[in-house]
Amino acid sequence: MSTRSATPATGRAPAGERPLPTRRAFLAGLGAVGALALAGCGARSATQVTSGAVELGLWTHDPGYVTAFQNAAASDALMRGSAFAPRIAPVSANGGDLVTRTITQAVAGNEGPDLLGIIISEFPRVMKSQMAENLFVDLGGLVTDIDDEVLRTAPYTRDGTVYALESDASISVFFYREDEFARLGIDPGMETWDEYLEAGAMAFERTGQAIGSVSNGDNTSIFNSYLQFLLQRGGSPFSETGELTIDTDESVEVLEFIRRGVDSGSLMVIGDPYGAAAASALQSGTLIATVMPSWYNLYGLQANAPDQAGRWRMRTIPRFGAGGHIASNLGGTGFAIGLDSPRAEAALDLLRRTYLTKEGQLLRYQAGGYLPTLASLYEDPDFVGIEDEFLGGQRVFDVFREAARDIPVFYQSETMQQLSAAMGAPLLDVYSGRMNAAQAIRATTEGYLQQTRQAV
Amino acid sequence: MTRAPYLFISPFFVLYALFMLVPILVGIALSFTEWTGLGTPVWVGFRNYTELFRDPSFWTALGNTAIYTVVTMAVVLPLSLFLAMAINARGLRLRDMFRAVFFIPVVVSPIVIALVFGLFFDQQYGLVNALLRAVFGFGGIEWLTSPAWAKVVVIILVLWRWTGYLTIFFLAGLQNIPRELYEAASLDGAGDIRSFWHVTLPQMKPISAFIAVTVLVSTAQIFEEPFLLTRGGPGEATMSIAQFIYRAGFERQEFGYAAAGGVVMFLAVFVIGRMLYTSLGIGKAK
Repeated sequence: MSTRSATPATGRAPAGERPLPTRRAFLAGLGAVGALALAGCGARSATQVTSGAVELGLWTHDPGYVTAFQNAAASDALMRGSAFAPRIAPVSANGGDLVTRTITQAVAGNEGPDLLGIIISEFPRVMKSQMAENLFVDLGGLVTDIDDEVLRTAPYTRDGTVYALESDASISVFFYREDEFARLGIDPGMETWDEYLEAGAMAFERTGQAIGSVSNGDNTSIFNSYLQFLLQRGGSPFSETGELTIDTDESVEVLEFIRRGVDSGSLMVIGDPYGAAAASALQSGTLIATVMPSWYNLYGLQANAPDQAGRWRMRTIPRFGAGGHIASNLGGTGFAIGLDSPRAEAALDLLRRTYLTKEGQLLRYQAGGYLPTLASLYEDPDFVGIEDEFLGGQRVFDVFREAARDIPVFYQSETMQQLSAAMGAPLLDVYSGRMNAAQAIRATTEGYLQQTRQAV
Repeated sequence: MTRAPYLFISPFFVLYALFMLVPILVGIALSFTEWTGLGTPVWVGFRNYTELFRDPSFWTALGNTAIYTVVTMAVVLPLSLFLAMAINARGLRLRDMFRAVFFIPVVVSPIVIALVFGLFFDQQYGLVNALLRAVFGFGGIEWLTSPAWAKVVVIILVLWRWTGYLTIFFLAGLQNIPRELYEAASLDGAGDIRSFWHVTLPQMKPISAFIAVTVLVSTAQIFEEPFLLTRGGPGEATMSIAQFIYRAGFERQEFGYAAAGGVVMFLAVFVIGRMLYTSLGIGKAK
């Protein structure tokens, strides 16, 4: 039996005995084991599946999309003529985590998603350094010929290339309580925000009720309140080429509008516009109107105030006096296809059938109320005839059709997160009157330069 | 035969190397690069560090973290000791129930806690403002939207979450102090306060030092509380250093910059931790 003292300091063993490894050899061995283990993580195959049964990995934060794609894959009518027989294998996680996992899988050389649902606010993360180009299939071939027909490709576009198809037109409209408007004598047909702010101030004075809301929650929620109105007014936080464009007349006007609205009580300040405070405001009848995207009907109004069924209506958004649109946008989820996926062709086929055909869009609307992203469908009898029970049987596409013709274009930038971080505090100061519009824009611009590390 | 000892101890070293040393070394190397998370990192030398020290957001986060750490050290530790002494009092009934109740906050999911605190401190519909209105006639405090109040709420959350947990440690320490010491002090004419200063505190020094270092290290890396409650807002008023690092890495894809922040945080926590460790004499033989 060998002992430590029997081994020379050099690590050499006496003749006839196996040498004891030196410390350096031991560490080198450890390193080799580690390197082998890491190398083993990167193995993958890339043979492209071109036909037949195929299992598509669908990564999404929303179970509604799983249902929509499963319905599409199971629909004989929709899949007629396809070379593939897809089956959906869903992976559910938080929207931000899905993007992170997609990136880490790509770095490790492992398979990522075949179909990835990217929340619109997460897309700027992959706009940096050609990440989108290296992660996702260029979908230009799908939309080039029907570019005017497909709504909302701009937010998922980088250097002129579309990397994701929007799932829901997310058209913002004006939801209002018809019964409360009648009781307060507010005409729901008023044309401009000026008229509405006046009526809202009167309502607040009489009953404490508000005809709209802005958020004072986290930076993203605060920024989104502003963004929705800014887009409606015809502004945009960034230009098509990614330059900051908040120092504009449109931006000043929107900030002044918000200030006037909050000051007069027309616009209520709510922490989380989708959380408990908003639910309380709706249930108590304090909030009797709000500008929100189409999906808020299902996930906001119906979810939080089901007993108010039949009392709500919707219309296009009142205009700003100086111009702009009668619609806006907020939120959305684009679906992209993994560039290195061996099932990319099958995923592309399913995405095209589900997102760029009338049948697919009908299935999606039925599965989760996702508003069509093909402009012509807003004139289609199958959609136009749809009535919404919660909205008192209103033919909702009468409103959406009008709004869809006037949707603002929204460009994103890789520094979107920096802008929302820079704008949160100044916007709160606008609400409280501590800053006017010009001061808020100046503070935001300075903050943005600091956040992007461009400040001198 | 002679390789056997190495084989037996190797699992620890393999795992330690793979999951500790490699990530730490990669992190340090990454801090000298610019990397979005994909593609090849570009060597930028000390640029991330120079930009970090010029970044007002970093200093804001550092200041916030310092406030959280100082307040936690100054309030949570004495409060925990006080509660432990109360629970340790002779003749107290339901001691185990109190111990369990104080322990509950630390095992409740932080997401649930943040949701409940969000409801409590909501400006319009929150319970706290409603109580203030009912009792004092005012209740419009901007708990989560004023930079100062938002910090206070984060601190309240930290206190609520960790005080009870640390109380259990102090209680364990108190229960190990021999009764004879108090009896001897009493015979010498010491009252409760003198007994506390001259018996309890010296006897509790080892466990107090351990708790102090643990609290310092964990609070300096505070993330969950401000992230879930305010997302670091309003603006950056409640953002911690850990959150700053998370934001750079996972919201802005600036992994080199995030790694530099991580290295600085590690060094700061390590140095301050070591100073506290030494000054409190942890591990020194009596």
